[in-house]
Amino acid sequence: MNLSQTWSARGVRLHISRRAWQYIIFIVLVAPAVLLRFGTAAYPIAQTIRLSFRKFEFYGTVESYAGLENFRYLPDDFGFRGAIEFTVLFVVCSTALQLILGMLIAQLLNAEFKGRALARAVNLIPWAIPTIVAAYAFRWILDDQFGMITHWVSLVTGSRPVIFIDPDGARAAVILVNVWKNAPFMAVVFLAGLQGIPEDLYDAAKVDGANAVQRFFFITLPLIIPLVVTMGTFFVIWQVASLDLIYGLTSGGPGVATQVLALRVFEEGLRYFNYGFASAIGVVLLGLVAVIGLIGILLFRRFEVTY
Amino acid sequence: MVSRALTRTHEHSSGHSSWRHTLRRVQLYMALFLFLFVILSPFFWIVKSALSRPDQLFKIPPVYIPDATLENFKTLAEQVPLYEYVRNSLIISTATALVSVTLAFMAAYAFARIAIPGRNVLLWLFVLTMALPEIATIVPLYRLLAEANMLDTRTGLIVVMSSVLVPFTVWVLVAFIQQVPFEIEEAAIIDGANLFHILTRIMLPLTSPALATMVVINFINAWNNLLYPLAFSATEQSKTLSVAITEIFQARAPWGRPWNLVSTLGVTMVLPAIILVLFSQKAIVRGLTRGAIK
Repeated sequence: MNLSQTWSARGVRLHISRRAWQYIIFIVLVAPAVLLRFGTAAYPIAQTIRLSFRKFEFYGTVESYAGLENFRYLPDDFGFRGAIEFTVLFVVCSTALQLILGMLIAQLLNAEFKGRALARAVNLIPWAIPTIVAAYAFRWILDDQFGMITHWVSLVTGSRPVIFIDPDGARAAVILVNVWKNAPFMAVVFLAGLQGIPEDLYDAAKVDGANAVQRFFFITLPLIIPLVVTMGTFFVIWQVASLDLIYGLTSGGPGVATQVLALRVFEEGLRYFNYGFASAIGVVLLGLVAVIGLIGILLFRRFEVTY
Repeated sequence: MVSRALTRTHEHSSGHSSWRHTLRRVQLYMALFLFLFVILSPFFWIVKSALSRPDQLFKIPPVYIPDATLENFKTLAEQVPLYEYVRNSLIISTATALVSVTLAFMAAYAFARIAIPGRNVLLWLFVLTMALPEIATIVPLYRLLAEANMLDTRTGLIVVMSSVLVPFTVWVLVAFIQQVPFEIEEAAIIDGANLFHILTRIMLPLTSPALATMVVINFINAWNNLLYPLAFSATEQSKTLSVAITEIFQARAPWGRPWNLVSTLGVTMVLPAIILVLFSQKAIVRGLTRGAIK
């Protein structure tokens, strides 16, 4: 890009080379976004790591060096152990179900039928609504006295299920509601992937006598696998640090049955002002995200295909 | 196409396969019905709860079609500063959408068009910050905002929410800008257009559908954000609807939880999202999938 003429035309005779101009313009354009990200993401992350080695008393007002004390205390913290356990369970089960259901919904919405555009719009609704509203809507639907699903179950089995007092029930509810909320988003991306697969591949396979299941496993899946890996990694990273749904649906209960790391950070940091301990949990979370991200990148390299 | 023609004749030659065709249609519509039922039933439930009188709400078995009333909306407006919450949510979401898309547009233009060495690495690094969990920054952010006197302000929330949305927006916009042929800008540069002109007179109109899409997506994201207002807001000066609904949920009515009010506010919060989705479904999908599929 050559903008030096414009400047000299204004009488500002600076002898700056074209190359230098490119750098200056690049920096000017990128700086606001980069500075914003630096100030509100990179710097706070560094601070979280620093704070994890410090101890706070009297509601965060008195601060001192703590060494590894926060981390040493982690394994003894009942809430943390529960949180690690359920975070892993929650993320693994959710993502697996979302991948499967996302694929099924994408197949469904890729078929030809009347009102397809409307069905695709409906599919976007769970993604578009606030998670906290979804959490409360389902909590109300599953209410042990007046809930809709509770009523249906009672019609079939004769007794009303009490979901949020039972650890397994609460865990299943959290995972399934999370799948309800996010599988459609997965489907949106998969659907776009399906639409990119050339139609004649399927026609050729039909001529060769491949049935629908074979066509899926031998054409669709191999071509869409990079997308599956990308979305899987993205969903794991994103859900490992999410808390809206659990905050609304169970607040981590009963006991610590549905406690997750993100909720633990929130409680310790912003409710009890245990900044140091909260940061230590935050660091664990960061480590988890880094490991998952690396695995995702490695997997992606393995499965990269071109067509 | 020959292959397609072959399968067609094959299918239509036997009456057997037309029966199978019907079966497949039936299966398709059953799956579709199940899908729509699962997606939509929670909405039926909260809309029904929002419109029914409290005495019809807490009944065993539930009243599925209540006498419709807007009483709950009135009660809600009386019990919480609804006007302030709606105002805050609207201002914060709109400003966040505009700020994030503006900053992302500038950065994306540079990443897409200015060929300096290492720009791809820089873009990758920048987009990777998307993976940094917000919750792991919440304590230092709280202290930073406190130092800057921005706790419990709409400005503070706009800043932090915009920041979260910028990386994805840049990623999507870079892809869109790269599609625009460079010749148009080249001509303008030769004519002596400056950078501001190129961005506002050439790039902006050419990429405006993509920018509008990202404004909608980011508006929805900011509207739905719970973590930041929950952590940083204290009064109706900056509290949003998402915080309001958690407070109503935690309140106690004589008969237990005020599900009528939770549902009413829930419906209010869902409404803009549904309207935006119904009116700009295709654009939203294009924006969302642009990041994953090239």
